[in-house]
Parts: sequence; C-alpha cells; structure tokens
Amino acid sequence: MSETPFESCTYEVRQDLIDAQLEAWERIAAPGTWLDSAHRIAVVAEIRQARSCDLCSEIKEALSPNAVTGAHTTTGALSGAEVELIHRSVSDPGRLSHAWSQDVLAGGLSEGAYVEIVGIIASVMIMDTATMALGAEETPLPNPVPGEPTRYLPPGAKVQAAWLPIVEPEDVVETDEPLYPSSKVGYIYRGLSMVPESMRNYWAMANTHYLPGEYIYQFDTTIRAISRPQMELMAARVSGLHQCVY
Amino acid sequence: MLRESTQITDNEVDLKDVTQGLSEGTQIPNAEALINFAEAIVGRDKAKITETRQVVFEALGNNATVDAAAVASAFHGFVRIADTIGIPYETAARGQDAPEIREAAGVNNFYRIQETG
Repeated sequence: MSETPFESCTYEVRQDLIDAQLEAWERIAAPGTWLDSAHRIAVVAEIRQARSCDLCSEIKEALSPNAVTGAHTTTGALSGAEVELIHRSVSDPGRLSHAWSQDVLAGGLSEGAYVEIVGIIASVMIMDTATMALGAEETPLPNPVPGEPTRYLPPGAKVQAAWLPIVEPEDVVETDEPLYPSSKVGYIYRGLSMVPESMRNYWAMANTHYLPGEYIYQFDTTIRAISRPQMELMAARVSGLHQCVY
Repeated sequence: MLRESTQITDNEVDLKDVTQGLSEGTQIPNAEALINFAEAIVGRDKAKITETRQVVFEALGNNATVDAAAVASAFHGFVRIADTIGIPYETAARGQDAPEIREAAGVNNFYRIQETG
C-alpha cells in the first residue's frame, strides 16, 4: 500500500489535492476533541468495514430502513452506538432521521463524540472515494499519535436548527476562533461547528476537492478543469443518488 | 447550485435528471460522460469506474478527469454531514431553496421529506 495518497495513480494529480489529503490524514491521526488518536483511527477502520457489512446491504435494499434488524459486521473495536452511526452514515445516509440520531445518542454516545465521528466519516468518504475514482490504492491507516483530547465545548453550541448542536455565527466566542469566514455561511458549513477543530480540518480538505468558499457563488468562474455546470451536474447527481435533500 | 450555474452560463438543464439520470433536456458539454462517471463512483463498481473514467479522459484530458473525480468525491462528504447532523434543508442554496424546484427535481420524494412532511 502506498503511504502517500494517489502515489499509485496513473493520472497526474494536482499537488494541492495530494497535500490536502496528506494533511487530513495527519489530522485524523492526531488526538481530537473528544476522541484520542487510537479511537479516531478505529473509526476510520470501521468506516471501511461498513462497506462490506451484510446488514447495511440489506437495509439499503429494504423499502424501509427500519424494516430490517440484525447485527452489523464490525471490527469489534467500537461501541454499538458508534458502529450504528458509522455504518448507517456510510451505507444509507439519505434515510436517517431525527429519531434515529436520538437513538444513537441514547445508546451512550455524547453529542461531541457524535459530531467528531461524523467529521471523520465525511473526510474519509471523500478521500477514499477520490483515490478509488482515480484507480489509486487506498491510503493505509495512519499510526496513532500520543496525546489527550482537548474536550473543548463551544459555549454557544445549541440544538436549534439541526438535530445536533450547532454554533450559530452570532454565538461564536473568541475561544472558538477561527470558526467562520463569514456570518453568512450556509448550514452545510456550520454542521460540524460543535467541534470546531473537526470543522476546520474537514473544510480545509473538502474545499480542495470541490471549491474554496470564495468561489462557491461565483457561478461564471471556474478554477477547475471542468466548467461550473459540469461540476454541479456531477454534484447534483451524486447527491441525488444519496437521496440528499440539501 | 446546478440551476444557478446553468442559468448564468447559458446551459440547459432538466432538474429531474438529478434523481432520474441524464435526459435530452440537459445540454451541458460532455454531460453523458461525466454523469456516467459520477454514477459509477457512487456505485463503487471498479470495472465501471475504470471504463467511464477512460471516456472522460479521452474526451476532456487528465486534469478534467482528476477534477471530475474530486468533485464527485467531495459530495460523498457533504451529504453525510447534511444527513447525519440533520441540517435544515430549507436553508439550502443560501435560503433560496424552493419547494417547486424540489418538486421538479423529484427531491420531494426523498425519505427525509416524506418522513418529516
């Protein structure tokens, strides 16, 4: 397995994409806000495990995601609530519900750990999908890094607009900074704000795959090698296939 | 985003292609190659990915192939944040989300809207 993302790729991959993934893997391997390094790496292993989970396949095929019962095929390193969060988010994200999210939390997962795990899921899904899409080998699991989680909880985080707490721009305090580039950022940007470090890490990597924030609403400008309508057509189709309403 | 980008650049798009796949109503250069690549990526079908990626490469070249793969990948992350955190879909597109556009795209049939009404 290649240690550097895209190392085995036959295409010439732009350097900022390689750097973004390298840095993202380093950040995933570091101690987080609520999870230590080994725990975060175990989350990555479970994300990859979820792709071959029989129960997840059955749920995905079922007319109702609630019609199927059973046990996930798991690495065995994480709690049941963590496994449920990871597997369902990876395999069938468009059919999650508010009640499901509350069940996961009631299973013993803190809101902070939930959001931090979502940040890792979203990051790994992007990076593993990109390497797969370009025919490159999957980047191996990083080695754990010693250290303790910071356990930083933004004082302004509250459940209001979403199922999980979010820090609204007007509730940002100095210790959260830097959190938002603008007070008008969309909710997709605010989603991970309960764990500011996860949010910053995620967007630093994700924007390199899509577009930096300052270009999002410049529809007549493209900094990529495909046009903006071509990008948005692919984006919309990918979202549609995931049944994502947003 | 799709609607706004096509309006500004004078391309045509049939919004229901978002849920039903490419139709003749969408007139964006190399749309078929890009949509086929995106669908193969979501399906994680490696043989199909290789085949469709080659079509994109032959039509648009190396850099476009890389960027097409990167964009499709990025939306594997965005959808997971939106759907696991439960962010309000009415706020999409800077609050410009409109029920009639969701209806035209077929998005109102999605689970989350059907479940929550």
